[in-house]
Amino acid sequence: MSTAVGRLARIELRLMTRDPLVLTFVFAFPVVTMLIIGGAFGTAPNPGFDHVNPAHWYVASYLTVVIAATGLVMLPVHLASYRERGVLRRFAAAGFPRWSFAIAQLIAGLVTTVAACGMLLIVAAPVYGIPAVHDWWRVAAALPLGAVAFISLGVLLGSLLPSARSAQAVGLLIFFPSFLLGAGGPPPQVMGSAVRHVAGPLPLTLLTNAVREPWLGLGPATGSLAAVAALAAAATFAAARRMAL
Amino acid sequence: MSERDVVTVRGLRKTYGKRVVVDGLDLTVAAGEIVGLVGANGAGKTTTVECIQGLRRPDAGVLRVLGYDPVTQAARLRPLVGSQLQDSALPDRLRVAEALDLFATSRGRDGGELLEQFGLAGQRRSVFSSLSGGERQRLFLVLALLNRPRLVILDELTQGLDPAARRNVWAAVRQLHDTGTTVLLVTHEMDEAEALCGRIVVMRAGRVLDAGTPAELVDRHARRATIRFSLPDLPAPLLQEIRQLDGVRDVELSGAQVTVHGDRRIIAHVGAALVRRGSVPEDLGVHVPDLEDALLGLLEREPAVGAPVPAPDELAGGRR
Repeated sequence: MSTAVGRLARIELRLMTRDPLVLTFVFAFPVVTMLIIGGAFGTAPNPGFDHVNPAHWYVASYLTVVIAATGLVMLPVHLASYRERGVLRRFAAAGFPRWSFAIAQLIAGLVTTVAACGMLLIVAAPVYGIPAVHDWWRVAAALPLGAVAFISLGVLLGSLLPSARSAQAVGLLIFFPSFLLGAGGPPPQVMGSAVRHVAGPLPLTLLTNAVREPWLGLGPATGSLAAVAALAAAATFAAARRMAL
Repeated sequence: MSERDVVTVRGLRKTYGKRVVVDGLDLTVAAGEIVGLVGANGAGKTTTVECIQGLRRPDAGVLRVLGYDPVTQAARLRPLVGSQLQDSALPDRLRVAEALDLFATSRGRDGGELLEQFGLAGQRRSVFSSLSGGERQRLFLVLALLNRPRLVILDELTQGLDPAARRNVWAAVRQLHDTGTTVLLVTHEMDEAEALCGRIVVMRAGRVLDAGTPAELVDRHARRATIRFSLPDLPAPLLQEIRQLDGVRDVELSGAQVTVHGDRRIIAHVGAALVRRGSVPEDLGVHVPDLEDALLGLLEREPAVGAPVPAPDELAGGRR
């Protein structure tokens, strides 16, 4: 790819490999927490987990943790740091359209997500096993839509927040409650009704439902999938507009 | 607006909140010119060039750069403009050679040659974060020149460079001029403006105070020269003669030290008088007004409403 987007995406991916610490959160955090919490409830089907193996419940949930970590933590910090230091101005002055940088980030974010999800499954397979996917096309639709939604949210946050530090603070502030309530924490069945009401409409909860339920054969989760699709469209539109300014 | 004009700005206005940074600015840069934008910090120079590059959206005014509107036609304009920006950076882990590959277009020059010219050939594999301030500046200049731009905008060109590197960069700017490239230079360094610019635009509080060649500005705003020498037993007739010379405005005596103020003609007249008397002092010194004196004279005479008069080192970045 010799277009502006291609050159930027290639360079961004190359730079990521030179700074492995940046990727630690996206690659290590989901794997470590999945190994801990996946083993906490045993492997016997449990009514609290919709009568499925709790370890499989978490394996099917944690791909979305990778997506959220990329979109809410890694990208905003990266982008805000570029803005703060004048890297984006440098690119803009050199003739790179601003949207080209946003698309390059989307590509780099998607590649990172795919690699981190692959790693998560490779680690999970010998420990807990990979649960059979009941409804392939819904899972295959939800994952890329969710990735686009969260990466666009990350680009949006990175373009709005004034510094890398504030991006990190805000990103973590959004990520951890989302993670605990919507993917990596206790299942909704064991939550109190007030907490369940708060957790229900969170973007990460919707995405996790849209992936986990068709994966484990718990339901089609059509409403969640539609909400994730709408979020992906809205976040991409907002991020593109913001980056075009 | 003539066809030869590369940059035409009429009535440019830009505010940040309630603060007016550029206030009705007019500016024209003709093809092949090197024009300097000078003024104290906060004069609006950088904002002006950022509007010219389409990096900021003006609140009002008409801008045409190489025939394009920098806001609505930025995609067409930017490939034709080479920019060396104030306060910008590259990704920390990006290598010098990768930066050339990233920024080069199909019109690009041989990046290796440029690296050689600016003393960066040995840094091809160095990452940006490991470069010194001067090396970064030179890399930005290389990137600005890489794609054979028709207009080059240089903001604080030699900030952080040692004297040898500055001369090297000045030579490169003169080469650009020789090839017909138009250059818009933002600087605090009056010696730089005087050495490079065919025309200088002086800004204050977002407005143009005056514009002209360096010689014209010196002539208009710093006509005075000062001569200092010591003569232990200054003959009264010589003192009288000096006082009556053409162009002399004032003569100060402090012990054996004589200071003569006047326009630049006094340099010849006082020298001739001393030679005629056969008493040329060994410590004879002449201060000829330069662009810095002219700018200080201009800014002192025309203070902006509500704006503080800049300290001389703020204006000139300190004499070297």
